[in-house]
Amino acid sequence: MTPPSDLPEAAERRLSDGAFSSGLSVSDFAACLELGLEPLGLAQGFCAMQQGAYAMGGLSRSVSPYGGTQGGYVQNYQCPHGMISGEHRMWGQNYQQTWVESAWNEGFRSSYSRMLEEATQLGAHGVVGVVDSVSRLTDANVTEFHIWGTAVRVRDTPAATATPWSTYLAGQRLAKVFEAGYVPVSIVASVSSIRVWAYCVTEYLMEGSAGMWANSTAPTEIEQIVSAKSQVRSMVRASARNQLHGDALHGATLILGDREFAKGDLEVEAVLRGNRIRRYKDFDPLPVPQPTVRLS
Amino acid sequence: MTNVEHSTSAPDAKAEVRRAVASLSEKAPNAGSTTSDLSIDEELNLHSIGWEPVQLVSGLSVFSTPAGLWRWGQGEIVAAGEAHEQAFKNAIRRLHSEAAMAGGHGVVGVHVERSVYSTHIEISLLGTAVRPVGAKAVDASVVFVSDLSARDFTMLMVAGWEPLGLATGASFVYAPRRTVGTVLQQQSQNVELKNFTEAMYSARETAMERMQRDALALRGSGVVEVKLIEGPMSFATHAVGFAVWGTVVQLAKDAHQFVRPMMVVSLNDVDEAFDPSALA
Repeated sequence: MTPPSDLPEAAERRLSDGAFSSGLSVSDFAACLELGLEPLGLAQGFCAMQQGAYAMGGLSRSVSPYGGTQGGYVQNYQCPHGMISGEHRMWGQNYQQTWVESAWNEGFRSSYSRMLEEATQLGAHGVVGVVDSVSRLTDANVTEFHIWGTAVRVRDTPAATATPWSTYLAGQRLAKVFEAGYVPVSIVASVSSIRVWAYCVTEYLMEGSAGMWANSTAPTEIEQIVSAKSQVRSMVRASARNQLHGDALHGATLILGDREFAKGDLEVEAVLRGNRIRRYKDFDPLPVPQPTVRLS
Repeated sequence: MTNVEHSTSAPDAKAEVRRAVASLSEKAPNAGSTTSDLSIDEELNLHSIGWEPVQLVSGLSVFSTPAGLWRWGQGEIVAAGEAHEQAFKNAIRRLHSEAAMAGGHGVVGVHVERSVYSTHIEISLLGTAVRPVGAKAVDASVVFVSDLSARDFTMLMVAGWEPLGLATGASFVYAPRRTVGTVLQQQSQNVELKNFTEAMYSARETAMERMQRDALALRGSGVVEVKLIEGPMSFATHAVGFAVWGTVVQLAKDAHQFVRPMMVVSLNDVDEAFDPSALA
């Protein structure tokens, strides 16, 4: 099921040329050989994505305070005080920035599938030791996605026909995944992004709860912020789970980021990465670990 | 790669990998997906005592503190301690309910992220819900939360102990101003600034007491892996803060099970002794 290739011609020539390249350390390389995985080449994929700067964000906001979202999670907050002044934040909103998420997902998936395409070209069964880097290319909303890993062939098996499997692990840690009765399926990455427009109560609480309009000076939970940050964490996990189709997500890392663009205008973002793995044999626990003291 | 690990997986590793990879062509299982942030070593550790990861869970809370709270004053900055405590409590409660909903009996390896700003305090917790293999869901009130790694959790259980929950305490105290006279008098001397020392002691005592109160409320016999953070606040250097948290444990079996360690002599010395800078 090799798709029509759009690899650069030079890359095709290089990849068909015999000598292998690999991103593995020497010990990981040795462990891979021990598992019968033969490195074929360093497969890579790139994608630079521009994210529409104001995609439905600020522009339509002047028309209606509750406009400007594109589906997904939305939560509105109403000022309890009544009309006070032009500067008073009469409304607030948390909303999912679906266009930010889809730009990220598209960039990640494109570079991932380009990496797999190179691996397929090499006749790989899988890609191990995957590394991804997501970085800002310029400050004009352009993000560069670069994913690379070592394409491997499983020795003494028929030639690869399916899309290669992939994992962030390599070497000993990969060996232990098999030991635990799992087989790697693919890497998984998902993103979730929420914009927070603070309403008056959130604004005053963020400035310290003794603001003029607050009810008391006691410590108070800032509900709008808690809700946005909890939501971003749930959404990113739900979206990763949707990519699992009954398999397990292992070794996940969650990276959280907050940005405050202006007073009361926040963005909270979460990125979850991990390895999708599948159990291929029954639960077979190792003996209870024996503590050791090293005499050196 | 040590020889010990090698020998456990070496004999049929290649055949095992072939079998595993061949199984990918079959249909994916239609089971519920589990998620975890544990390393493979941690998961093997859990497996060895009959536990398994269920779901990645999180709990979070942000509490505001009154404006002007950090200005000069005397004694403890009560509202800051309260906000810290309540934010921790709410975050733990949310972690409990997420874990229970996922069918976990406890949460291990909880990362505690804690930010104290001049106007609000944020506590964010993230960990993996775990349970004995295949066990039924339990009520949120009996779920334990622990910042012990899965490895430490395994050792704790093997030794006959069990984690009960997280205990925390925090206190923020003003270091009283010295009078102008005292400042002038002390300017040319090496002198202990008693106001700061005493503020540290006061914050320490209150925070430790609060952590102990939490531990007693959970009916624990002690707190292990206590982490502490102390020092002046970055935004108010005349105020000092002290925060502690750790995992409350109690003996689950009749007596402590002594885990006798095995002595090993590593044969890796030569590798480790190699110092690349020696080549220069």
